[in-house]
Amino acid sequence: MSPDNPFPPPTSQTLRRVSKWGDRFFLVLVLLATAAVVAVMVALVAVLVYGSREAIESLGLSFLYTRTWNPTGNVYGIVPFAVGTLLTSAIALLIAVPLGLGAAIFLTQQAPGWLRAPVAQLIELLAAIPSIIYGFWGLIVLVPLMRYDVEPLLSKYLGWTGWFGGNPIGLDVLTASLVLSVMAIPTVTAISRDSIAAVPRSQKEAALSIGATDWEVTRRAVLPYARSGIIAGIVLGLGRALGETMAVTLVIGNRNAIPTSLFSQGQTIASLIANDFFEVANPTEVPALLEAGLILLVITLVINIGARLTLARFQAGRGVGAE
Amino acid sequence: MSSGSAGTSAPTTETPAGQPVIQRQKRGRGPMIAVIAVVIVVILVVVVGWQAGWFKSSSSSSSGTCVPPSGQTLNGAGSTLVAPLMIAWSLAYSDSTVNYASVGSGAGISDITGKTVDFGASDAPLNPAQRADIPSPGVVTFPESAGAAVPIYNLPGISTTLKFTGQILAEIYLGTMTNWNNSVLQGVNPGVTLPNAAIVVVHRSDGSGTTFVWSSFLSLENATWASTLGHATTINWPVGVGAKGNSGVTTTVKSTADAIGYVDINYALTNGVAFGAVQNPTGNYIVANVTNIESAIKDANPTFPSATGDWYNVSVLNAPGAHDYPLATFTYLFVYKDPGVAYGSSYSQAKAQALVDFLSWIVSATGQSYSAPLYYIPLTSAAVTFDQATIASITYNGATLSACAPS
Amino acid sequence: MMFDRPARRKYFSHGMTILTGLSIVAIMVPLAAVVYQCVVLGGSVFNLDLFIKGLPYPCTPRQGVTCQQGGLAVPIVGTLELIALAALYSVPIGIGAAIFAVEYAGERASARIIGMVADVLAGVPSIVAGAFVYALIIIYDPTIVFSTFSGSIALSVLMVPIVTRTCEEALRTVPNSVREAALALGISRWKTTLRIVLVSALPGIVTGVLLAVARAAGEAAPLLLTLGDGCAHPLQGVTQEGCALPLWIFYGATSPYQNWINLAWGAALLLLLLILVLSIASRLTLDRMARRMRGE
Repeated sequence: MSPDNPFPPPTSQTLRRVSKWGDRFFLVLVLLATAAVVAVMVALVAVLVYGSREAIESLGLSFLYTRTWNPTGNVYGIVPFAVGTLLTSAIALLIAVPLGLGAAIFLTQQAPGWLRAPVAQLIELLAAIPSIIYGFWGLIVLVPLMRYDVEPLLSKYLGWTGWFGGNPIGLDVLTASLVLSVMAIPTVTAISRDSIAAVPRSQKEAALSIGATDWEVTRRAVLPYARSGIIAGIVLGLGRALGETMAVTLVIGNRNAIPTSLFSQGQTIASLIANDFFEVANPTEVPALLEAGLILLVITLVINIGARLTLARFQAGRGVGAE
Repeated sequence: MSSGSAGTSAPTTETPAGQPVIQRQKRGRGPMIAVIAVVIVVILVVVVGWQAGWFKSSSSSSSGTCVPPSGQTLNGAGSTLVAPLMIAWSLAYSDSTVNYASVGSGAGISDITGKTVDFGASDAPLNPAQRADIPSPGVVTFPESAGAAVPIYNLPGISTTLKFTGQILAEIYLGTMTNWNNSVLQGVNPGVTLPNAAIVVVHRSDGSGTTFVWSSFLSLENATWASTLGHATTINWPVGVGAKGNSGVTTTVKSTADAIGYVDINYALTNGVAFGAVQNPTGNYIVANVTNIESAIKDANPTFPSATGDWYNVSVLNAPGAHDYPLATFTYLFVYKDPGVAYGSSYSQAKAQALVDFLSWIVSATGQSYSAPLYYIPLTSAAVTFDQATIASITYNGATLSACAPS
Repeated sequence: MMFDRPARRKYFSHGMTILTGLSIVAIMVPLAAVVYQCVVLGGSVFNLDLFIKGLPYPCTPRQGVTCQQGGLAVPIVGTLELIALAALYSVPIGIGAAIFAVEYAGERASARIIGMVADVLAGVPSIVAGAFVYALIIIYDPTIVFSTFSGSIALSVLMVPIVTRTCEEALRTVPNSVREAALALGISRWKTTLRIVLVSALPGIVTGVLLAVARAAGEAAPLLLTLGDGCAHPLQGVTQEGCALPLWIFYGATSPYQNWINLAWGAALLLLLLILVLSIASRLTLDRMARRMRGE
C-alpha cells in the first residue's frame, strides 16, 4: 500500500471487470477512428464516382479523348485540362528539381552547421505559405513582370523554338508554371535532403580517401546511393504540383482549350473545377466537373502511392526512420 | 500497488541505471492546460456568438399593424450585372438578412432550378429549355432593375472616347480584327492615333447574362456571329482571356494594357475604366449614361408577357430613338410561384412572408431610389405595377401572402 | 583518366558549390518577394478597424467619392469557426487512428497500412476534398451544401492525415518500458494509453494539431466549393453560408475595387502572421518532443 493513496484498493476481481470493459470500449473507439480514416480514403473515390455517374453514363470513354468543353452542347472532354496540367507541372518540375536538389546538396554537403537549420526552416516556411497568397502575389507582381520584361525577351531570343508564339499578356501557362515551381521546391528539397542525409558516412569517406573533390563525392558516391529517395521526392513534388489550385487559377488565363504555346492562356483540371464549380450555368456540368475531379484524384493517388512505396523501400533499405 | 491516478503521485521504481521509469508528472500542469483550453473555448464562443448575433435582442419593426417576420435569412444568387445594386439593397434592408452570391446569371438560373436559393437573378430570361427544367410549381419572372453593357478598354495613351460599331465589336470578338490600329477602327475614329498593338480580348468564363446581352447584340449586328456563335449565357469564344463575373472582366481589362471587355456601366464608372461609344440603329454614336439607357427602355417599350410566361424574346436592344443606347437590358428575378410547395416542409410561412416583403421593398420607391446613384435605371411606374401584381401572386401552399407595406 | 588535372576538378567542384549555393538564394527570392509585398501593402490597412469592422461596400476612390476601409471581422471569425469545428472532428479521429496504429497494431502490417493511408490522404488535392464534400452533402441535403458545416468537413479531410501521422510518430517516441511498467502495476490498457502514453507524447500531438491548423487556415480551394459566400453579413448559424480569410482573399484579389484589394493584402498579411505563429509554436513543441526522446 502506497502511503499516497487515500483509497483502499479495489479487489482484484473488480479491477479486472472494470478494466476489461474499459479496454473494450476504448478499443471500439479507437477502431472507429481508424475505420473513419480508411473510410475517408475509400469514400473519396466512391462519392466522386457516384456524383459523376450521369457524366460517366452519358459520356463514357469520350470524356477522356474529347478536346472541347462546351456545357451548352453537353460536350465535355478532359484533354485540354490534362494537357494544361501536365504542361504546367512538367515545366514546374524542370525548374524545381535542379533548384530543389541543388539546395538539398548544398544544405547537406557544403553548408556550415550553423546555417543548416535556419535555411531548412525558411524553406519549410516557403511550403507553409498558403497557395492563395502565391496566387495573389503572382497576379499582382509576377504577371506584369512576365508580360513587360521576361516574355518579350523569351519571344525575341527563343521564339525560333516554336514554344513562345503568340502575343504575351503575362496571364499564361508559363507564369502558372513558375508559380507552381515555387510550391514544388520545398517538397523536393525536404525529401532529397532526407535521402542524402541517409547516405552512410562510409560512402563519403571512401570517396574522399581516394582524392575525390566535394562535387565528385556528391555526384559519384552520394547521389547514386540516394537516387531512389530523390526520385520519390521529385514524384511527390509532381503530385503537389498536379493538385495545386488557387495559385494556378489566378494566373493561367482561364481558357478551356489546349494551349498551343507557353504564352497561351490555359486551364488545369484543378483550376477548371475551381473556376467553373460555383458558377455552373448548365446542370449537366456538375457531374462532368466531378468526373474531372475523380480523374485528378486517381492520378494523384497513383503517383503518391508509388512514390511513398518507393520511399518506404528506400528508407527500409537504408535503415532510416521517417525523420 | 494501487491502480489509482497516475497524475500527481504515481509511484516510481528505479531501474538499475538509476533512471525513473514512470516520471512524476509536474504538479499542477494538467489543471493549467485545462484552464487554458477552457479560456480559449470561451473566447471563441464569445467572438463567434457576437458575430452571429446571439447576444442581440431581437429588434422589432415599427411599420404599424404589420409585423414583418424577423430573423429570417434569404439567399439569392446570380447576375453580377446587378450585384452592386443587390449588395446595396441587402445592406440597407434590415427586416431580414439577405445574402446575395454574385456568381453570374447562368449560375443564378441553375441555382433556382436546383432550389438552393430563394431567388435567382439573371439578365438573361429563361430560354424554353431552362423553363422546362424548372420543377413544379414553376417560377415567376419579373424585372427588378435595368442596366446596360458597355465596351471597356485599356489604352494608356488614349484619352478621347473611342467609337465602336456593332460590326467592329463582332469582328474583334470573332478574332478577325486583331490589331488596334486596323483601318476600319481607325476610320471610325479619325481624330485618334490608335496604337500598333494586338487587341487583348477579354470575355466572361462563367455563365453570364451580360454575355447574353452582348452576344445578342453582336448577333443582330453581324451575320457570321449569329450563325456560328449565337446568343446565350455561355459562348464558345474563339479568342480571348476568360474572367469571372463583371468584376473579373473589369479587373482584367483594368490591369492589362491593350485589352477590351464588356461590363455593366456601373462597373466601368465606379472603377474609372474608360468605355467607348456604340453606334445605334440611327447611326449615332452613343456614350452610355443613365439618361440614354432610360430613354432606350422607354422607346423600345417591350410588352411584358405574363409572370409565368415566356420572356425569352423580351428585348430592349437597338432601341429606335436617335439618342438611345443600343445595349440596354432589363435584369430579372426568378422566384417560385409557391415556395411552400417548391421547397417543401422545411420552408416556413414566415420565410415566404419575409421573401415577399423583401421583393416588395426592392420594387418600391424606397428600394428603387438606390438605383440611379449606382447607375441603374429605376423601374417605370408601369413596370412597378406589373411587379407588384406578380409579387402579390406568390402564394404559400395556396394561401395568399400579403406583403407588409414597405417602409 | 578521372584524376588528371586536379586543379580543373577542384575549380569545377567549387563552381558546383557556388551553383548549389545560388539555388538556395534563388529559392529565397520568391519567399522574400511575397513576404515583402504582403508587409508593404497589407501594412497600410493594419489597424484596429481591420479586426472589428465588417466588409466595406466595394469601392474604388475617384472624384468626389471616398471609400471606407472596412475590416475583416467576418472572415476572421469565419476562419476561427471553421478551424474549431474541423479540429473537433479531425483531432479525435487522428489521435484514435494513431493510437490504434501504435498501441494495438504495433509492428504489424496494419500499422504501416494506416500510415500509408494517412500519407496518401495528405497528398489529396485540396480542391478534390472540396468536390468530395460537395458531392457527399448534396446527396443528403442540398440546402446545407454551401455552409460553414460543409466547409469544416472539407477542412477536416485535410487535417486528419496530418494529425494522424504526427501523433503516430509522437506515440512511437514513448519508450515501451513506460507501457510495460504501467501494465505491470495493474493499470488497465486504456488508462495506460490515455493517461500515461498520450500525456508523454503530448508535445508531439500538439505539434500535429498546430501543423494541421496551419494547413487548414490557409486553404481556399476546398472552401470555394463548400462554403458559399456569407461574408457580407455577420455570420449566422453553422448551416448558413460562411466566410473564411483565404477564400475572401480570392474574392478580394480578383475584384477591381481598390478598397477590397487593400483589404485582401491585409488579409494576406494576417494569414502570414498566423502561419508564422503556428510554425514557431509547432517548432517549439517539436523541440520539446525531441528533448523528451532524448530523455531530458
